[in-house]
Amino acid sequence: MTFNPTRRQVLVGGASVATIVALGAVHPAFAGADRTKITVRVEKDLSNLDPANRSGPIDLNVIWSVQQGLISFKPGSTEWELDAAEELEQVSDTEIRFKLRGGLAFTGGYGDLTAEDVKFSFERFIKPDAEGKPVTYAKDWSALDRVEVTAPLEGRIILKKPAPALYTIALADGSGRIVSKKAFEALGKDIATKLVGSGPYVLKEWTPREQFVLEINPDYKGPIKAHFHQIVGKPIGEQKTAEIAFKSGEIDFTAIDPENGKSLAALPDASITEIPAIDYVWFGPNIEKAPFDDIRVRQAIRYAVDIDAILQGAYSGLYPRANALLAPSLLGYWKDAPVHARDLEKAQALLTEAGHAGGFKTKLTIEANARYEAIAQIIQANLAEVGIEVEIEALESAAYWALGENDASKDLELSLIKFNGKFDPGFQTQWFTSAQVGQWNWQRWKNPDFDALHEKGGVTVDPAEREKIYIEAQKLLDESAAFIWITHNLNAFASRKWLKPGVLPNGNNWLYTAFTQATA
Amino acid sequence: MRSASLQMHLAFKLATAALAVAGSVVLLMALTRLIPGDPATVILGSRATPEAVAALNARIGLDKPLIEQVFAFFGRLVSGDLGEDVFNGRPVLGLVLNALPNTAALAIAAMLCAVAIGIPLALLCARWPGGKADRLVAFLSVGFISTPSFVVSVFLLMVFSVHLRWFPVLGAGESGDLGDQLWHLVLPTAALAAGWVGYIARLLRSSLLEILGESHVRTLRAYGVSETKILMKYALKPAILPTLAVLGMGFGELLGGAVFAEVIFNRPGLGSLIYDAIRTRNYPVVQGGVFVIVMLYVLTNLIADLSQSLIDPRERARLTSGRGH
Repeated sequence: MTFNPTRRQVLVGGASVATIVALGAVHPAFAGADRTKITVRVEKDLSNLDPANRSGPIDLNVIWSVQQGLISFKPGSTEWELDAAEELEQVSDTEIRFKLRGGLAFTGGYGDLTAEDVKFSFERFIKPDAEGKPVTYAKDWSALDRVEVTAPLEGRIILKKPAPALYTIALADGSGRIVSKKAFEALGKDIATKLVGSGPYVLKEWTPREQFVLEINPDYKGPIKAHFHQIVGKPIGEQKTAEIAFKSGEIDFTAIDPENGKSLAALPDASITEIPAIDYVWFGPNIEKAPFDDIRVRQAIRYAVDIDAILQGAYSGLYPRANALLAPSLLGYWKDAPVHARDLEKAQALLTEAGHAGGFKTKLTIEANARYEAIAQIIQANLAEVGIEVEIEALESAAYWALGENDASKDLELSLIKFNGKFDPGFQTQWFTSAQVGQWNWQRWKNPDFDALHEKGGVTVDPAEREKIYIEAQKLLDESAAFIWITHNLNAFASRKWLKPGVLPNGNNWLYTAFTQATA
Repeated sequence: MRSASLQMHLAFKLATAALAVAGSVVLLMALTRLIPGDPATVILGSRATPEAVAALNARIGLDKPLIEQVFAFFGRLVSGDLGEDVFNGRPVLGLVLNALPNTAALAIAAMLCAVAIGIPLALLCARWPGGKADRLVAFLSVGFISTPSFVVSVFLLMVFSVHLRWFPVLGAGESGDLGDQLWHLVLPTAALAAGWVGYIARLLRSSLLEILGESHVRTLRAYGVSETKILMKYALKPAILPTLAVLGMGFGELLGGAVFAEVIFNRPGLGSLIYDAIRTRNYPVVQGGVFVIVMLYVLTNLIADLSQSLIDPRERARLTSGRGH
């Protein structure tokens, strides 16, 4: 059989190919860079835009750009600056006075931003909602007693007890955003999907699972200036797809795996930013279960595991080592924390002393992903050298985190855990208190002294004093040998060379208003 | 009498289809409650105190017994309500209806592409069995069938999006812009159709060769009818029947199986909607999405089944003669 194309077939075929190529050349996805607009990748779609019931950093980053707080975080910093408030004064340990700027107005015709809106926005957190249920982030304002309105633009925040963490956990964070009382009452349930604010951007569009579009608010009169006319957020769940989309030029900014930083940095128009994170990754035993109830066994495990090998094998040697709970950029960082080096002889001696010279069998529970599986395999190999036989149990994400419910952690033996950090040390220490056993304290370690230090740190106003308290608390964690710290993580981002991203030190939170054009 | 038999056949098929849909939804609801994890931990994260989890579960109706939730689901279904997204209260029906066209377009385009390429390849192979073309198609078919579609997807993206920059990576195109939507459809269609092209080509080739070996075809050859005419006019119609049945099943599978292409190409389709909902234990969205997929699966099978009955003269005769279903 032979194929003899006619002239018409050749012409039609040729024209089709030419059209495809021409269309590809002009397709908007590959159009030249428009420097007034950026497209960023977010790991999942927006979910709930009500600041009191938001579901994570992706929601929060958008809420931040649309709604003002009395104060907001400074770009790239854990410090804050005045936002809707013209003045903010800590009058006493339990009273904060504020005065709002004049002329701030909500979008959508919902009127001026007043002290009544501030009172409504903050007191929502301590009152049940329309269905009689507490809001999701109620805990952020647990210290609040009431907000008193003293003038249309002035008021007093009255606390039940001193709460130094309030500034970073609530006021500058999502729970400190000021919603319009009028809009809230008018929108009802739609408050979860419609965002009304007085901030630098408006949420112009949210097409679920496709994109959201932030556009400069032309009526904004506050101090924080936005730099790009439009910011488009594309939810892309798959890391590989995001990196391909970055390479193809469809997105301008994405979080990346630091291990891929080198290959992406080789692109002519790409820039890689690395920011040490404030997370905490560790593994440890459930100390209620034998043989881990014997501190000698826990110490033996700490001596037997090679953390540097884990950082090399599972993190390509790129991530910094953690030696305590709090990361270097946080208040309370324990810079003299002991660096536990591997010592198999000591490990074996401790096991023998504890009556486990021949080792034992145990199970290590992890969240299923390639990195944690690599860590688990290294731990498995390390512990095998002292006779401890480890079975790895990898659970899918939702199943893994369900261990925080219904006292499910009581059945754990060893577990590998990663928690996200926040800017106040008290946020980190709270998970290791006795009250958290059965919830997020999976090592089930109880220490009244630690509990007391955590409480004291939460109400101590003097930063130097707080620093000492949190270092003491970390010493107790170290003495328990129940927590074997691995890393505080590393955040890496790929962006166009002309773009300077506005990422906060935890890496998860971005200030869209702080995304600017890079200067040469 | 004959008409009554046909009606009986149709009624039987519809009843079994309805039963399959209901059964699979009940099974799904039971299974999703058996696996650990719930939306409360996803929403609340580290704030998931027992009180907060209980309050949230009560708010989204997960504190009710399973049987009550099953009845509530079917009760709402009567009025076209598939429930609400647990995270923001959006109607699930809206989410499903927004996602469905993207998945349907992808599945239809992939199937059309597979048929348009697979059938001519099968004819070519059957015309000269054992020839160079047959061997080449066999080699490529096995290759495409055995290569996972996500591997093909990444390969296509690297070549046509990153290096040549001919086609976009993300999404389904601007809504209302048909040209843009078609442009976004090219690579996922190719990724999804690749395996089916090989499958259809191999399946139809076997059927054709079987028919071509039958005595009535030898008679036609004896009468001097050309091989091409025998192939196109006398062999293709009966040979395509098994392929048609497979296509019915295959279309349903494509609706559900498009998830890989949707996730990799970031298409907001039904597969990726369900995938994301499973990861976050967003039960109403999982139930609503799977319900629609099952409905479409059953429907396409029903259509394939009935159309086979109409195309195949033996089946048609059996039904119209009143010999039951």
